[in-house]
Amino acid sequence: MDFYKGRVLRIDLSAGTSAVEPLNMEWAQKYVGGKGLLLRYMWEEIAPKSDPWAPENPVILMTGPFAGTNVSTASRLVVGCKSPQTGILNDSYVGGSFAPEMKFAGYDAIIIKGESPQPVVVTIKDDVVSFVPAEPKYWGLSTSEIEEALRRDFDPNAKTLSIGPAGEKQILWACLSTDQYHKAGRGGHGALWGRKNLKAIAIRGTGSVTVGDDAKAFLDDLYRIHSEYVLTEDNLWANEEGTPVLAQIMSDAGVMPTRNWSSGTFDGVEGINSDSFVKIRTKNRACYQCAIGCRQFHEAGGVAGEGPEYETIALCGGNCGIGDIEALMKFNAECDELGLDTISTGSVVGLAMDLTEKGVKDFGLRFGEVEGYLKAPALLARGEGIGADLALGARALATKYGHPELAMEVKNMELPGYDPRGAFGMSIGYATSDRGGCHMRAYPIADEIVGGTLPPDTLEGKAQKVVWGNPAEGMIGENFSAVKFTGIWCDFWAITPEQVAQLFKHLWKREVAEDDVWKVGERVWNLGRLYNLREDVEPDDIPKKLYAEDGAHTTGASAGRSIGTETFKNALQEFYQIRGWDENGVPSEAKLAELGVDVRL
Amino acid sequence: MPHVMISSKKCTGCHMCELACSAYHENAYRPSVARLYSEVNPTTGAIKGHTCLQTACAKCQEACPHDAIVTKEITVRVKGDYPSKEKNGEVVKGYVLVVDEEKCTNCGECYDVCPTNVIHEHPDRHVAFKCDLCDGEPQCIAFCQNPHVLAVDLKVDKKDKELQA
Repeated sequence: MDFYKGRVLRIDLSAGTSAVEPLNMEWAQKYVGGKGLLLRYMWEEIAPKSDPWAPENPVILMTGPFAGTNVSTASRLVVGCKSPQTGILNDSYVGGSFAPEMKFAGYDAIIIKGESPQPVVVTIKDDVVSFVPAEPKYWGLSTSEIEEALRRDFDPNAKTLSIGPAGEKQILWACLSTDQYHKAGRGGHGALWGRKNLKAIAIRGTGSVTVGDDAKAFLDDLYRIHSEYVLTEDNLWANEEGTPVLAQIMSDAGVMPTRNWSSGTFDGVEGINSDSFVKIRTKNRACYQCAIGCRQFHEAGGVAGEGPEYETIALCGGNCGIGDIEALMKFNAECDELGLDTISTGSVVGLAMDLTEKGVKDFGLRFGEVEGYLKAPALLARGEGIGADLALGARALATKYGHPELAMEVKNMELPGYDPRGAFGMSIGYATSDRGGCHMRAYPIADEIVGGTLPPDTLEGKAQKVVWGNPAEGMIGENFSAVKFTGIWCDFWAITPEQVAQLFKHLWKREVAEDDVWKVGERVWNLGRLYNLREDVEPDDIPKKLYAEDGAHTTGASAGRSIGTETFKNALQEFYQIRGWDENGVPSEAKLAELGVDVRL
Repeated sequence: MPHVMISSKKCTGCHMCELACSAYHENAYRPSVARLYSEVNPTTGAIKGHTCLQTACAKCQEACPHDAIVTKEITVRVKGDYPSKEKNGEVVKGYVLVVDEEKCTNCGECYDVCPTNVIHEHPDRHVAFKCDLCDGEPQCIAFCQNPHVLAVDLKVDKKDKELQA
């Protein structure tokens, strides 16, 4: 079999056993890989409306068909579960080198179920799967320590996926780490691993991925594709500056969350913008099989390592009133080592600062004050002191202290670094994102702010953009994000449907039309919607102040702008109509049949 | 004489070179049998490239008791339009060391002496395998395509060891 390995590894942590089964190729034909195939397996493997923490519920690791080849950026892994944070589907993507290693070890997917009676590390060397007690040696280690320990004890070439102390404590937004700085960040996969007593998986593969009879011809075509489409000026910004370049742009546009979303322009942004990061940059690194190499290493204040990326700069910087680059570097490194998602952590710490400054509850945290800020991640990860309150998450924390309006989340997932009051299209993207508050499904802001081709202060035509995007100009909508997430391509290759078709031609060994590509995306997106409806997902909405007339900012570049409640609700209905869904967002039978979705509510 | 080098200063650790190498030689992606590799520490980002220096080193050839490491004439041309690559577009003639699989007994003498750890037993054929510069069009260099990186390049060493006739 070409591209796929055709094998799924099942791990039962309760029994300490593993088994291999064939990959369901009927599903692979329909849903390709990555997100699509993951969702199809989740539909089958997770009992409807079950407790997200139930031992029988799986965490699934899924690769894309191009992982382990020269197809640039397609090394990403997707991790899926029913999220303990949101109660709906959670697909989290991570770069690094874990997915290719899974393929070389012989697996397209790993399905992990059960709960180990004792903390455990699972090691996989090709066909040999072992369960190693994690105590006393591994439990409690930070993310870089566990990686080093497993390279030392298991295999120097092992790739690892692991949790830090935050995952062991089952913090709701604990993440999975690989190659130290890469996180399957959102939705609490790390918390589930902690509950399952799974500290880490270390994998080493010595097998191969085949691409057809003539690998040399495939190489030649990829050489052309990389020259023409990947290593272009449009993509190389990621290598030159990376996402820190967004900090100044977003602050100038009134979009950067500042002091718990009380402004969209951060007066201290100069300290943490790209110019400041370029000064302390030491080198560039790349994920496995990526020709671009966006990973910026920095060194300041005794901290050396990769990052932070824009979302961290926004939520842990501006949103906490922190413009001190050394403090931000330390905070980011601390979250990395503890295994905490920085978007949710920055959001919750910013909220606690807000509650303190408003005199509601004194957390000892104030906007811009470095001392308390730097202590917060460790307290949070260990549940000590204020940590117990912080670990509630934004919604529960704000509700506990009587101010639910201060929590900036969608479906209980804290929002990333784009305030819709400065880029209206993001409101529909956040409301309809299939995993809660996320910017990775639809990114209309690419046209509204970065590209500047659409006016940011209107919702007119934006529902269409959220659904379909404008990939020829590098703007991702939900359907095309679902295509990219099957591949699994990184956003930093601004790939187009036509280019995907050229790669699917190798995969499917036939001519592929752009329409076939679009259909995959819409099919996958509808499958995800069905999954969430089966879980009684909350109505699609965002925090009221992000669209209400009285919610407009009073300072910054987006001051005075509001979407308006009616306008927002109408745009949401427009979105459902474009999708062929009813007024409650339920896909019609005709739409599902047209797309060939093979499950029904 | 021509050989491939990985600049540890420029390399980003993307492993594209290893992937292309294995696809060319094995007709499948299998980096564990690549003829070169980049050793990356994920935490520090430190990188060390491992490549065959061919006739400029020749320790494998000296160690081989069966004369199975053979000096072969080769014409190398780097693929691509890379203004900053040293040998861009240039045709380099020279010699490369290849394994004569008829003579190789897999005794392992060469594995022990290789200073860069790039000659090993092939897992399927059970003879030594090593870099042969892809018959003149090194895929590792071709796939180090990012114009800001260009870490894998062709070098020509002047202080060559005396070639056998």
